Amino acid sequence: MRRLTLLILTIVAATSVLGPNAQAAGKLKVVATISDLKSLTETIGGDLVEVDSLTRGTQNLHEAEVRPSMMLKLRRADAVVENGLGLDAWADVAIEAANNANIIRGGRGRIDISRNVEVLEVPGSRVDRSMGDVHPQGNPHFSLDPGLAPVITQNIVEGLARVAPDRRAVFEQNRQAFLARLEQEMVKWTQAMAPVKGAKVVVFHPVYVYFLTRFGLVQAAALEDRPGIPPSPQHLATVIREMKAQKIKAILVEPWNDVKLANRVAEEAGARALVMATAVGAVKGADNYIAAIDYNITALAKALR
Amino acid sequence: MLRLMLAVVSAVMVLAPAVARAQDAEALRRELDALKKQQEQYQKAIEALSQRLQKLESQPAPGTTQPVAPAPPVAQSPSNPSSQMTPLSALDLARPRQPFALYQQRGAGQLLFDIGVTGDFVGNVTQHNVEKASAGTFSGRENRFFPREIELSLFGQIDPYARADVRIEAGEEAPGGETDVTLAEATITLLALPYGTQAKLGQMRNRFGWSNVIHEHDLPWVDRPDVYRAFLGEDGLVEKGFEATWVPDFLPFYLEILGGVFNGDNETAFGYGRLREPLVTGRVVAFFELTDTMGLQVGTSVANGVTADRRTSTLLGYDVKYKYRPDGWLHPLLTLGTEGIYSMREGTTGETKGRFGWYGWAEVQPWRQWAFGARYDATQYPAMAGFQWAIEPYLTYVPSEFLRFRAAYKHTERSHRDGFDANGGSGRVVDELLFQATFILGAHPAHRF
Repeated sequence: MRRLTLLILTIVAATSVLGPNAQAAGKLKVVATISDLKSLTETIGGDLVEVDSLTRGTQNLHEAEVRPSMMLKLRRADAVVENGLGLDAWADVAIEAANNANIIRGGRGRIDISRNVEVLEVPGSRVDRSMGDVHPQGNPHFSLDPGLAPVITQNIVEGLARVAPDRRAVFEQNRQAFLARLEQEMVKWTQAMAPVKGAKVVVFHPVYVYFLTRFGLVQAAALEDRPGIPPSPQHLATVIREMKAQKIKAILVEPWNDVKLANRVAEEAGARALVMATAVGAVKGADNYIAAIDYNITALAKALR
Repeated sequence: MLRLMLAVVSAVMVLAPAVARAQDAEALRRELDALKKQQEQYQKAIEALSQRLQKLESQPAPGTTQPVAPAPPVAQSPSNPSSQMTPLSALDLARPRQPFALYQQRGAGQLLFDIGVTGDFVGNVTQHNVEKASAGTFSGRENRFFPREIELSLFGQIDPYARADVRIEAGEEAPGGETDVTLAEATITLLALPYGTQAKLGQMRNRFGWSNVIHEHDLPWVDRPDVYRAFLGEDGLVEKGFEATWVPDFLPFYLEILGGVFNGDNETAFGYGRLREPLVTGRVVAFFELTDTMGLQVGTSVANGVTADRRTSTLLGYDVKYKYRPDGWLHPLLTLGTEGIYSMREGTTGETKGRFGWYGWAEVQPWRQWAFGARYDATQYPAMAGFQWAIEPYLTYVPSEFLRFRAAYKHTERSHRDGFDANGGSGRVVDELLFQATFILGAHPAHRF
């Protein structure tokens, strides 16, 4: 019996030592639901935070599988950064099962970055699921618009400062440095997109409306006739006809979606299917927020030229 | 002397108002200076706010097409009200406060909780002798199509500290026009407890094993595995009571430890139904993320209670589940699972009978809308002698996330017909075609691994 007790105590002690030990280093442990928010929170938090993400950029962010490993990350978290507007609604299940009072809805460590974002595509009339997987609160893919980064990062600063008020000045300083860099990049991106301003593109799933609006591009059609529902052959035929008629050069597709189908349609219509960085880490080279936006700008500017 | 005093008093009376006037004037001057300073500060604040407003107004709205990055909003100072979330002092906590009143904060037309309706219809076709013996999977409803579970779910947060879940079910229990409506679940979960704990009380599907907690319409098969039906009845283990969980944060893998105390109303396994000799449950479940695409969950459960005739009954369970979901896939490619229950029940002569049952299952989903799999069941019976085994291949078609159709063939063999021989029929060998149609209307929470 004594041996068994000793063994158990040794295992517990060993795991305590081997386990993540950010608390000892004085870092805030933050979990982001999606990789874009991980990147932005790392930028704002700098050395003061340790950030993990519940999903990878290559995943469909609407339908992440709720794994117990997510709950373990959330159990240890001082704060959780969520996109909101229904994109990461699945995270609620993981957060509630993590037994962490700091991050439950209403907790001080719950950071919703959709606050104060001017949301696009908010349904103006009654919606139901005959329209597909519509988001009743509006399109939730606003993090793809770098122009909204000031609002998003402001929400992150406010949230982190709620948990660690004494570090607010550092968070704000990091944010200002990031925004200054982003502004420089924005000038470059705007110049790159200027020659193709007004160009029409087709999307697979309505992910890009904020990005396209920001850079003056027009979404002419979507391969999905209703969001989240695989397209019918009739609808695809209509899209191909329209693409040919309007000489549309690009189909924007998410890495997790049916890229083969997008390629087939593009081939039929004489266009190119572009796999976009729909989140940080979605494609090679899109390792942080600025790199992901840069990837999208470069790919689009080249394809639409 | 008197004169001197009179002179002093007269001088004081004459000079005092003058001194007082001088002091008043000085005070007013100071007040005026303060007001001027305050005005200057207000002026500066107004100018700062005006500049901020101009900056904000000059930002392109997300709906416009100007490709210029908006200026960042001015950072808020540490004295900003947003820093009000700092921990309250003991005095703050002790001070009388208004009761929490969400109702007063509610906007027009906003619901404070979610509502969902789930419909689950099943049908089965089998041999005449099986129908006669009521020995099919849906006992007493052989060769019928019927609503098994139409469920109204209401759920959401009660306040910042707790959530409630209520599920009301209607379904056909016996052939005929009547449909029974029952309270399937009603629970309060306390979310804000310290040290990684959480408590739940009310009527609930117990977390015994992996599949018991899952509602019929969410199971990956048409019917609940035979081992559950044999040891816990057709509905599985649903009890009234209290359970608490603890998730330690110092382990390198996810571990959940659960303990519960319930009435023990389940007639198949327990049935005494009194807290004087309650049903006590426990569960430990661990999850190992093998890679980004593979996960393994291992659990063990125990339930100890008393039967209606006050004999001890103990169930021990194990469960293992493995899932492989290739990177970027919207669904798993391969799911494997197994669960088993070992029952120890005190007999009429005081001896303890040990009985065992288990199932193994595999499912492949190569396309988003199609999945196929098979389940193998083998179980003894908790009270009577004998055993049965079954094999059930099935095919699932999922047109959308909210609609599902499933067809299965189930072949069951029993070691003898005792207990499955009502009305002179025989349920020794059973062949069934099973059908299922399920819809989800409204809100439906995501499922765990």
